[in-house]
Amino acid sequence: MSTLGSAAVPQPAAALPDAVVAARDPLPRRPKGKGGITATVVLAVAAVLWISPLVLLLITSFRPLADFIASGPLTWPKEFTWANFADAWSVGNFATTYRNSAILLLLKVPIGVLLSAMLAYALSKLRIRFRRTIMFTVFLGLTIPIYITIVPVFIMLRSMGITDNLLGLVGPYLAFGIPFEVLVLQSFFRQLPDELIEAAKIDGAGEWRIFFTLILPLSLPALVTVAILDAVSTWNEFLFALIVLNSDQSKTIPVGLLNFQGQFANNNTGLAAGILIAVVPILLAYVVLQRWIVGGLTAGATKG
Amino acid sequence: MASTAATAVVTRARPASVRKKKRHGGFKPWLFALPALAVYLAFLVYPAFSSLFFSLTDWDGLSPAYNIVGLDNYTAMVDDPVVVRAAINNMIWTVVTIVVPVVLGLALAVTLNGKVRGKPVLRMLFYTPGVLPLVAVASIWGWLYNPDYGAVNEFLRAVGLGGLAQSWLGQNSTALAAVMVPAIWLRTGFPMLLYLAALQGIPHDQYEAATMDGATRSQQFWHITMPNLRPAHYIVLALSLIDSFKVFDLIYATTYGGPGSATQVMGTWMYFNVFQYYQAGYGTAIAVVITVVAIAVSIPYVLSQTKEHDS
Repeated sequence: MSTLGSAAVPQPAAALPDAVVAARDPLPRRPKGKGGITATVVLAVAAVLWISPLVLLLITSFRPLADFIASGPLTWPKEFTWANFADAWSVGNFATTYRNSAILLLLKVPIGVLLSAMLAYALSKLRIRFRRTIMFTVFLGLTIPIYITIVPVFIMLRSMGITDNLLGLVGPYLAFGIPFEVLVLQSFFRQLPDELIEAAKIDGAGEWRIFFTLILPLSLPALVTVAILDAVSTWNEFLFALIVLNSDQSKTIPVGLLNFQGQFANNNTGLAAGILIAVVPILLAYVVLQRWIVGGLTAGATKG
Repeated sequence: MASTAATAVVTRARPASVRKKKRHGGFKPWLFALPALAVYLAFLVYPAFSSLFFSLTDWDGLSPAYNIVGLDNYTAMVDDPVVVRAAINNMIWTVVTIVVPVVLGLALAVTLNGKVRGKPVLRMLFYTPGVLPLVAVASIWGWLYNPDYGAVNEFLRAVGLGGLAQSWLGQNSTALAAVMVPAIWLRTGFPMLLYLAALQGIPHDQYEAATMDGATRSQQFWHITMPNLRPAHYIVLALSLIDSFKVFDLIYATTYGGPGSATQVMGTWMYFNVFQYYQAGYGTAIAVVITVVAIAVSIPYVLSQTKEHDS
């Protein structure tokens, strides 16, 4: 949510270990019977209006600036060009910000999911002491605004010498991702039958082996869902990146885009192209992974 | 060793009853728990408490020295007109960006749940703004609101309402409303998804029975749909409330809290105090206040999540 971006979400509703929590999309694929033409038309018009800012952005990004200024934003372009993208790509430093965002994502998401899964396992299956206290403390993290921590974290990173460095973001990002990931994963692990674990123990497997060879493979759908939602919020995070990253060399896409927005204030078509460059990966990922994202976000509501 | 083995045997023999007793698994679970807990404590819990301390100082954020000033920062907030403005804006923001998206999201979900074609595509389109980076949303709307070349004013001129064309983000009277529109745009999808999922779970025979009894559409909505959606309402409202306290990105990237302090919220005002006016002590005090409020209103939700998973 929150920003998923930020959207933080309660437990998945899976009842069985092999239930596909994320891909369990409650929406029926086919409409029941015929009819519903009026509702369909009304909703389709509303949907087009809803995404019209993005459509307008797309059209504008392909037209020459002169044409845009002469004819206004709401007209169909007289000609099309790729030039805006070339301009925006080089001026916006997107090669660097793309690389930085990708590195951060690849570094942060796997570590975050693994650590969260371990904690979730301890909370759901290992009868850890102070379980309720730990759960309450960790879940409370869902509610804490990120900006309460920025001053101390900044001091911490400065003393470690990792300001203006992507590595400086990993710790805070992990900490703010853990509450949601643990919430989802521990409730998924809880659904796994204890008998499986007991059987593995009888066969002589230790806790770690059970965790890595039994629990994690069985929980793959939940892990993927959590990883995708975590990746979206990591890719989109702005405040910490704004504070920690100063030089152009270390900026991520959201901070780079803010910079770019200032530089291209008077170049409407270039600005449109730059915004599109910044959001195309996340839009493509959303379209492809839609069922996982929707399944993960709605997991809490289906439980009733 | 012997006792551990005995416990294990007992556990295997009578799992249900033994588990109810307060038996814990020794130090092993901590090996799994500690890495995540360490990160969480180091980068979230410790900094949060650390901020509590800084809020009692006059630290500027740069120099090594500072004095403890007690509650001065907190009393100063009362006299700071921008804090008052920001607190009011936070409240307006909370109400508007919860009520409007929830009502719109519910309406969309109920309509989508009826006889409609192309549901997956429609649902996908309505949620699309929700996955965008907030900075990109801010850029898009800044671009739409552009006084000279923006689509919003151009549209007004095209339909003969050119007199209404104005600098939406640039004047006190409209700036806050203009920033809330993109917030509504990106936040409507989430309640829609949750309500839609919850609606799928309502047994269809309830509606069939009501139809046989001659209940109208609106009677069915108020007496079947709404009561069935109660758990979804709770989750939607709790998560929206938590989310609304975190507002920063969208306002920072569209208006920087301006013009003047027209769109300032606690999060942005905190940021400006710390990083531009070098009043780290005062800035963290602002952050402490909003965090305490956020935690206080969210504790019922957190408790419910903890309890639910503890049975």
